[in-house]
Amino acid sequence: MDRNDSFREFVAGHQQTLMRTAYLLTGDAHQAEDLLQSVLLKVLGRWSRLSRVERPEAYARKALLNQYISWRGRRVRSELPTAEPPDRPYSSEDSTIVRLVMRRALMRLPPRQRAVIVLRYYEDRTERETAELLSCSIGTVKSQAHYALARLRELAPELAPKLADMEIEEAYR
Amino acid sequence: MTWLRNVLVDLADDSPQVDLAERTIATHDRRRRTTLSLLAAGMVVVIASGLTAAVRLLPDRPQEAAAQGDDLPARGVEPLSHAYKTFCKPDKGKAPKGCRDGGWRVVTRSGKAYDVTEALPSLSSGRGGVRDSPLAISRDGRKIAYYSAKEGTFQVRDLASGQTTTAADKVPEGRLGSISRLMLSDDGRFVAFSKVPDFKDPALLIDMRDRVVRRLPNRWVPIGLSQDGATITLAEYSPHSQLRTISNLWPPSSAGKSTSVILPKDYRFSPLAPDGKTVAVIENLSAAEKPCRHGDLALMDTLTGKRRKATALSGLAPDVSTISLRTWIDAEEVTALTMSVRCRPASQVPDDEPPVIDPPYQSMTAYAVNVRTGRARKIATYRARNFFEIVLPGPPGAP
Repeated sequence: MDRNDSFREFVAGHQQTLMRTAYLLTGDAHQAEDLLQSVLLKVLGRWSRLSRVERPEAYARKALLNQYISWRGRRVRSELPTAEPPDRPYSSEDSTIVRLVMRRALMRLPPRQRAVIVLRYYEDRTERETAELLSCSIGTVKSQAHYALARLRELAPELAPKLADMEIEEAYR
Repeated sequence: MTWLRNVLVDLADDSPQVDLAERTIATHDRRRRTTLSLLAAGMVVVIASGLTAAVRLLPDRPQEAAAQGDDLPARGVEPLSHAYKTFCKPDKGKAPKGCRDGGWRVVTRSGKAYDVTEALPSLSSGRGGVRDSPLAISRDGRKIAYYSAKEGTFQVRDLASGQTTTAADKVPEGRLGSISRLMLSDDGRFVAFSKVPDFKDPALLIDMRDRVVRRLPNRWVPIGLSQDGATITLAEYSPHSQLRTISNLWPPSSAGKSTSVILPKDYRFSPLAPDGKTVAVIENLSAAEKPCRHGDLALMDTLTGKRRKATALSGLAPDVSTISLRTWIDAEEVTALTMSVRCRPASQVPDDEPPVIDPPYQSMTAYAVNVRTGRARKIATYRARNFFEIVLPGPPGAP
C-alpha cells in the first residue's frame, strides 16, 4: 500500500465525522468543505509521520479546530444563513424550526464559544478533553460554555427554557 | 444534555456528503509542482508538417488568436480543436481574456473562441464550493455535450446546424461531483457521465435519440463506446488501476455482461483505440520522494489487461513531467498532452505552505506519439490550469 492509499483509507474512515463537526462550526456547507480540505492538506503534508501514529484523526480534529478559529475572524462576514427561521413564535418541539433557529444562533457566537458548544454538547467531550483540544484551561472551557449558553438563550428566547435546563444539568456534570 | 445534543445531531445531518481524498491528493501534488518555465505568451503554435485528416482535430492557429471568447453562436460554428475552463482569479499570472469564472470556452480549428454560456459553470473549490461541470467534444469536433444550467440536465449540440438535443431525465446539479467526466459518442447519440465522489447516485449512459438512460457504476471514467452503443469501456486509475468492459447495455434494464481486470501497476490510460479492444498506457512511476516519473508506452488489451511490448518515448521535450493520453489521431498515433513542471519531493514541501486555491494557467504541449515506435512529434500547445480542465475531441483518457 503506498502513501496515497493509506491516506485514502484514513479519509474514507474519518472525513464524514470531521465534516459534521466542520459544518457545525462554520454553519455553511461550502465553508465546511473548504475548512476540511485545508485540514486534510495539512494531514497529507505530514502523512509520512502521521500514518505511523496511533490516532492520526486526533491530529486532524485539533487542526480542524485551530484552523476554524484562525479562519473565523477573517471569514465572519461571508457567513450567511441559507434559510431564515420564522419571524413568529414557534414550538420548541418543531425540530425543523428549532434546527434553523439553533443554526442561526450558533453562527452568532464567537468562535471559541461555538467550538466549546460543539465539543461539549455534540461530541460529548469532557471539559478536560475540550480544554486540550482548544489549548486552553478547564476554567476557560467552563466559562465559555456558560457564556455560550447564556448567549444562546438571548438569541433564541423560545428555546431559553430548554437551554436553562442544559445549564442546570451542566452544573451536575 | 440530550435535547441539545439531538438538536446538534439534527443540524449536523445537513452537512454535505463529501469525498475529499482525491481532491486533497491532487491539490497536494499540484503544490509540489512549481512551473519550471512558463513559455512566452504567444508561443501557442502548431507544427503543420505531416498533417493527416485526423490531425486537423487540433488547432492550426495559435490559441491566443482566439482572444476573448464571444458567446457560442446559435449555428454555423466550425469544428472544434479543444475546450478549456476559464477561471478568473489565478493566484499567479493572467486569467484568459473575457473569462467567465468556471465557464467552458471552446476553440475552433482555426482559432476562434466561443464561451458556452448555456453550460453550467464549475465552482472553484476554494471559493464558493465544489462542483465540476463537464463538457465533451465528439471525435470529429462537430458536436459538444455539456450540462445545461437552464435544463438541469445534459444537452448535445450540433455546432453547424445548431440543433440541440436535451436528455429526457433531469440530473440534479448536486450530482455533478467534484471531478466529473463526460463522453460523447461519435454520432452524438450517446452521452456517458461519471463522477467522484461515488455516492449512491449512479453514473449514466444516456441515449439522447431514444430518450432512455442506462445506469453505470460510478467513479469509472468512460473511455470508449462501440458504434452501436452496446459496449462501453471504463477505466479507473485511483486507488487502483482497473479496466472494465460492459456489453449488452440495452435495454437499460438488462444486467449486461461485465468484465473487469485489476492491474498490478499504476497506469495512465488513453481513450479506447480505433480497433475497439486496446488502450495505450503509460505506467505512472511517481512516488512521494520521486514525483512526476513515468514509464514506457505500451498497448494493453482491455479485456485481459495483458500488456504488449513497451516502447520508450522519444522526441518529447526533456523537461516533460506529466502526461495525459488523449485523442487517437489514427490507428498508429495517440495524442500525449504534456506539462513541463518542476516537481518537489514531499519532504521539500513545508507543512505550513498555504494551499493554492486558484492555480495559474500553464502551457501544455500536445504530441502525436506512434504507439509502435514511441516516437513523438509536437503538434500543438494549449493553456489551461490542469489536465482536468482541458478537453480534446473524443473520449477522455484516465487520468
